[in-house]
Amino acid sequence: MYRISGRDVSAQGGGGGGGGGGPSSATANNSWVSPTSVSTSGKRIQREITEFSMDPPPDCSAGPKGDNLYHWVSTIIGPSGTPYQGGIFFLDIIFPSDYPFKPPKVAFKTRIYHCNVDSAGNLSMDILKDSWSPALTITKVLLAVRSIFTNPDPYNPQIPGIAHLYLADRAKHDELAAEWTRRFAK
Amino acid sequence: MFRNSNITARLFDRQISAPAPGTSVNCNRRFYENLVPSHTIYDVECPDLSFCKFTHDGRYLITFSRNHQDLIVYRPTWLSYSCEGEVCDLPSKARRFESFFTQLYSVTLASSGTDVICKEFFLYMEGNQFGIFATSTTQIQDTPAIGGAIQGVPSFERIAFHLLRLEDGIVLDEKVFQNDYVNLNHDMGVLYDDLLAIVSIRYQRIQILQIRESGHLVDVRALGPFCYEDDELFLNSSSQCMHQLSENHAENGLHANQPNPDSLFLSGIKQRLLSFIFRGIWNEEVDRSQTVQSMKKKFYFHFQDYVDLIIWKVQFLDRHHLLIKFGSVEGVLQYSRSADHHPSFFAVYNMETTEVVAFYPNSAYELCALFEQFGDHFYSASRNLLHLKFISSHSNNIHASDQLRIVKNKASSSLQFIRKILASLPFSCQSQSPSPYFDHSLFRYDEKLISATERHRTSVDHPIKFISRRQPSVLKFKIKPGPEAGNVDNRTRKATSFLFHPFLPLALSIQQSMHFPPSMNIHYRQ
Repeated sequence: MYRISGRDVSAQGGGGGGGGGGPSSATANNSWVSPTSVSTSGKRIQREITEFSMDPPPDCSAGPKGDNLYHWVSTIIGPSGTPYQGGIFFLDIIFPSDYPFKPPKVAFKTRIYHCNVDSAGNLSMDILKDSWSPALTITKVLLAVRSIFTNPDPYNPQIPGIAHLYLADRAKHDELAAEWTRRFAK
Repeated sequence: MFRNSNITARLFDRQISAPAPGTSVNCNRRFYENLVPSHTIYDVECPDLSFCKFTHDGRYLITFSRNHQDLIVYRPTWLSYSCEGEVCDLPSKARRFESFFTQLYSVTLASSGTDVICKEFFLYMEGNQFGIFATSTTQIQDTPAIGGAIQGVPSFERIAFHLLRLEDGIVLDEKVFQNDYVNLNHDMGVLYDDLLAIVSIRYQRIQILQIRESGHLVDVRALGPFCYEDDELFLNSSSQCMHQLSENHAENGLHANQPNPDSLFLSGIKQRLLSFIFRGIWNEEVDRSQTVQSMKKKFYFHFQDYVDLIIWKVQFLDRHHLLIKFGSVEGVLQYSRSADHHPSFFAVYNMETTEVVAFYPNSAYELCALFEQFGDHFYSASRNLLHLKFISSHSNNIHASDQLRIVKNKASSSLQFIRKILASLPFSCQSQSPSPYFDHSLFRYDEKLISATERHRTSVDHPIKFISRRQPSVLKFKIKPGPEAGNVDNRTRKATSFLFHPFLPLALSIQQSMHFPPSMNIHYRQ
């Protein structure tokens, strides 16, 4: 995984917005970057803003809250054909200071009936935990978040009750999820 | 056309010619030019009370005892007497408060020693002669924000709303708010037909109550944390079933067992508001990359500011729509004029569909233009009260709209004017006197000194002139508060309040100052 990370970090060094860069190791990275890791992550986030603006994923929108680069808000429009259709879901995204080496934390600010979102709104996905890779960007994270609307992961649930219902009685699950969307996400 | 303003000529005129269709009330109201409260009894001996107002049907005069514990209700009676000869002065023994008002009853509303009647809060339901009063304990400044309360908002231990039958003073029902903050100044009550809205500022909840014919206050819905009336029930029941299911699943009920920290989520009304703003920007731009940019600038940059907005005031636009004013916590607690300078926002919210219909900042030209043109839609306290239709406003009266235009031209910038105009929204219902003497098409008067809006005003020593609108040179009557000879001491600031009877030529002016007992003048027609 960290093999990819090197590539990503060095891309900033090149000063370029989009593309790749030569492979370089994390230690080499430390030699030229400003001493605080905050600015490293800051630059990376800046670059992700540019990248996101160039090619935003469908039905998604995101941006820093106020002038704090590390605290973003994202909006996902409930994809049509799912019980979340018609809902507008707001998410809080908090980047750690050692981003991209640690994953951002994503939490729903809008109530949602979903087996991968706990009762406090925290979203649990493997790419936001063990499978996190510094190669992932906010665009990719949002694409992944959007995909859980269409395909929940009932085998790694936050709320087993909902996962159980999803597997046992999909129609009932969808009906409830749609009712939650109507009540809390319009 | 020449019209004689002599009352006899007018009466003859009324006998022989019918007014233009739909103008009969307006024509009859012209008689008020002849029937004016031109006589004054200075410094009337009156009970030491705090005078609140006449009800809009003129049947009751509402007063409170000085210690703000008791409600005392008077019936205005038209004084009649006979006299001999040319000199028709009122006999001195009739020059009393009691000749004009009969006490009906006195009721203690604030029973315990700790609470007092809020003297600026009174609402009247004309249909069944119900009155709504409020009592509260003293304000506690530094209360910890517990249980979802907003930080920095003071609290009253107990605020109670009392529903009274004014015919006999029987308390019919009561609604109590504990450890809450409800704005009770300047007739902040919000009534529409039989619906009463109360804003709990501390808990950000708009409570809609219905006043039933039977004399009960019934909770209809509560907006704020949730939008639909059964949202909370729904949430509890479905989280319960989640809980049960997760217990069946022996693996773990760990996450479901956690207490639900509600504050982590946006409140129901904020979700609606933010999604309205979001959809507006999302649909505005055609070009995707443009959308991203304007989202960033217009929405995400201010996201936290929108989240931090609190419900400030509310009014009904009709039975389903509310006009809600949002502002910052700091702005809420300032009632001075500087409150206009705080940025605030207006949202139109439909309670039935739970949708935000419109959203404006307090600098919005569009809302200001709507208010200028369709002001009466904002003033509507009810659909079917006739006398309220004759309260002059800038959108039903040419003279009032002229005055507004003067204010507009005087304003240093159009933004300043817009802010000033929109500061009067949401409109407090029943805060204007329906007295015909405030009708701009009948009389001209200095609105700085006196107006239909019932407020305390700084006293002036000279009489307030009411000049005929039709004959601009004719002074119809004067209202002079305070002692007849003028005040000896001009240094102390005095405040005057005026109470006009809704249709009789009868008015009270009460002058108050720091060191002297209040002095009341009765203005009537002799």
